[in-house]
Amino acid sequence: MSFRKPARYVLPVVLALALGACGIGGGADDSETTVSGEVKGEITFQTWNLKGNYADYFNGLVTAFQNANPGTTVKWIDQPPEGYQDKLSADAAAGSLPDVVDIGPEAAFTLANAGMLLDLSKTDPEAKASYLPKAWDANAFPSLGGTYAYPWYLNTGPSFFNTAVLQKCGVSKDPLPATFDALFAAGQKMAATCKSDATMVGRLPAIETFGAYGVPLMDQAGTKFTFNDAKAVELVSHYRNLFQAGGMTEETLNKLQTGEVDAFKAGRVGWLPGSSYTLKDLKATAPKVAETVAISPQITNDKPNMYIESLAVNAKSKNVATAVAFAKFATNKENQLAFSKQAAIFPSAAGALDDPYFTTDDGTDEAKLRLESAKAVSEAVVYWPAAFSSKSVDYLREQIALAVLGKKDVQAALDEAVKYADASLPKK
Amino acid sequence: MTATPVRRDTTATGTMPPRARPGRGGIGRTHDRWWTPWLFLVPALAIVVVFILFPFANTLALSATDATLLKPGQFVGADNFVRLWHDDRFRTAMTNSLLYVVCVVPVMVAAPLVLAALANGTTRILGFLRTAYYLPVVMSSVIVGLIWTNLLDSRGLVNQVLDWLGVISEPVPFLSGRWLTLLSAMVVTIWTGLGYYMVIYLAALANIDPALYDAASVDGAGPIRQFLHVTVPGVRTTSALIGLFSSVSAFRVFGEVYILTGGTGGVGGQNITITMLIQQEGTGLQAETGYAGAISVVMFVVLGLLLAGQLWFQRRGGSR
Repeated sequence: MSFRKPARYVLPVVLALALGACGIGGGADDSETTVSGEVKGEITFQTWNLKGNYADYFNGLVTAFQNANPGTTVKWIDQPPEGYQDKLSADAAAGSLPDVVDIGPEAAFTLANAGMLLDLSKTDPEAKASYLPKAWDANAFPSLGGTYAYPWYLNTGPSFFNTAVLQKCGVSKDPLPATFDALFAAGQKMAATCKSDATMVGRLPAIETFGAYGVPLMDQAGTKFTFNDAKAVELVSHYRNLFQAGGMTEETLNKLQTGEVDAFKAGRVGWLPGSSYTLKDLKATAPKVAETVAISPQITNDKPNMYIESLAVNAKSKNVATAVAFAKFATNKENQLAFSKQAAIFPSAAGALDDPYFTTDDGTDEAKLRLESAKAVSEAVVYWPAAFSSKSVDYLREQIALAVLGKKDVQAALDEAVKYADASLPKK
Repeated sequence: MTATPVRRDTTATGTMPPRARPGRGGIGRTHDRWWTPWLFLVPALAIVVVFILFPFANTLALSATDATLLKPGQFVGADNFVRLWHDDRFRTAMTNSLLYVVCVVPVMVAAPLVLAALANGTTRILGFLRTAYYLPVVMSSVIVGLIWTNLLDSRGLVNQVLDWLGVISEPVPFLSGRWLTLLSAMVVTIWTGLGYYMVIYLAALANIDPALYDAASVDGAGPIRQFLHVTVPGVRTTSALIGLFSSVSAFRVFGEVYILTGGTGGVGGQNITITMLIQQEGTGLQAETGYAGAISVVMFVVLGLLLAGQLWFQRRGGSR
C-alpha cells in the first residue's frame, strides 16, 4: 500500500486535529428534563467535607434508602474542604456532575444558569410545602425563573466576644456590643488602648454584612445589585474610620473568613461573628479562648443572617427519578432531624425546628447556644444573593479594601463592585 | 578456459545470511515507507499537539469569544482586548509582573555568578555552601512560602528582631503594604532561584581556561579584576541564557505572591500578577475562559517581545 505525496502532509495534520479534537466539546444542553421512570439503578451522591465526622450517619442514610427502594444503589462520594468549587467546576465542565450534589445557592445559580440542574418548580412543585418557605426560596432564582435545589441544612450563629481581649483593651463586657454602632464605638476605644496588638474587628464586611446592616442587596426581580446606596456607604465608612484610628490592621484588610477565625483563636481579635459549631471548634482548638468567650445575639440592624446548604439534582442524570427520590429522602424531616442531632446545624424541613431538641434547655452551654441559634434561624434570612458569585465576593473585598485604605472614594468603590457584580448576571 | 578468480564478500557466503535488498520486503527492509519516521515521532508529536499546540490554538480562539466554563460562548472579536484595556486589575497585574522582571532579572543574572565564583572549589566547606545555597531549589514552594510568611508576618521573626533592636515602633507591613509585599515576594523568588542558577554558572566556570587567570595574575590583576575581566566575559553566553530563563520565570511569577498574600493578590488586589489574574478569571464555576484567554494571549505577546528585545540587545552587545 502506498500513499500519494499530499498524504504525507495531510496525515500528520489530520492526526493533529483528531488528537486536538479530543478536548473539544461540552456546552450546556438546554433541553428540559422531566422526572419519569422507576426509582431504580445507580446514582452518585456528593457531599462536602462530611465523611470525617458523619460517615456512620451517611452510610446509614444510604443503606436506609437502598432498603426502601430495592434495585437502587447510591454511591456516596465526599469531597475534601479545600477546592470544592474547583471540583464542581471540573465535573460540570466535563459533564460528569454527580446525580445528587451538596451545593450552596451561588454555585447552584451558576449551574442552573448553564442548564445543569433540575428545575424543581417544574418537576416537583409540591415539594415546596415540605420545607421552610425561606429555605425553599433561597434556591428560587427569579432571573432564571425556577427553583433548583432541595433545601438541606441551615446554619446561623451568635456573636462571640473574647472578654480577655476586651478587658485588656479597656472595653467593658457588660453589656457586650449589641448593635453595629456599639461595635464600632468599642472598636475605636480598643484602637486607642491596644493599637494594633488586638482589634475588635478582624475582617472587612462581606455581602451578608451589608444585608444585616440593612442595605438592600438586589432589586425585587433579581436583575440588578443595589448595595451601593447611602446605607452601604455608611457601613464602609465605619470600617474606614476604624482603620484610620488604628482599629484594624492592614493585614486584616486581606483576611478571609478562616483568617478571621484564626486571629480570634490567637487572641488578636475581640469579635467573631460565629456559627452554631464555633463553640465546639473553640473548645477543641483554642481552649483558653473558649474559657473567656462570651456569647451574645448576632449583631444586625435587621433580621439575622443564615447560610443554607442544599441538594441539587443533575438535570442530565441517567436515573433522574432515583436522584430526585434520594434528594427528597435525605432532606425529609426525619433524616434532617437525625443529622441535626449529630452535627451542629439546623433542619430546613417544615416543622423540624419544633422538635424538643431545639426547644428544651438541658443546662449545658451547647444547649443554650443551640436554642438561641434555633430561635435565630426561625427569624433569619439568607442574605447572600445566589447571583452574587465568588468572583464578585473577591472583587467587593478588594474594592472595600481600597476604600478603607483611602485610595478610593467609598461611593466609587461600591459603585465599581456593583457594576462588576451586575456584569456577571445572566444576560437576557 | 580457466576460471577467473573472483573476490567474494564473505558475508555473501553461506556463513552469513545475505543482506536484504532494498524494496523487496523482508524483515531487514528499511527506508522505503515514507511514514516510518513519523511513527517514531508520533509519541512526541502527540504530546506537543495535545499539550502545547492545541491549547495554544484553543486559547487564541477562546480569546475572541465570551466563553465561560459552562457555555461555549460566541465570537466577540476584539471585545475582550478592549475590556482588558479598561480593566484596572489588568493594568495592576501587568505593572506588577513587569516590575518583577525589571527588579528580579538583574539580580538573578549577577548574584548567582558571584556566589558561584565564591563557592567554586573543592574544599569541604565550599561543598557545604554549594549544598546550602541549592537547598531552597529542592524545597516545595508551599514550604518556602510558609517559612517566609512566618518570618515576615507582622508578628513574625523579622518584625520581632527589628522591634527588639529598637529600629521600629510598629510592625513593618511586609505582607500587606503595596510595594513591600511585592518586594517580599521578589526576595523569596531570588532566594529560591539563586542556587539553581549558581549551579549553571558553576558548570560554565569549569569551562574557563585556567591559563587566563594565570595570565591575568601575571599582569597584576587581583581577584576583583580577574572576576570582572576573565570570569564575567567567560560566562557571557550563560548569563544571556540565565537572563532569558529568569525573565520568563519572573514574568510568570505566581506561587510566591499567591502564598504570601493568602491567594488574594494582596490588600485590594494590589499585588496581583498576570498569572494570578489568569487563574482568578479562568478558574472556578464562574470562570470567564474567553477573557482569561485574552489575558493569556497578551501575556504571550509581551513575553515574546521581552525575549526578542533581550536577544536583540545581547546580539548587539556581542557584535561589538
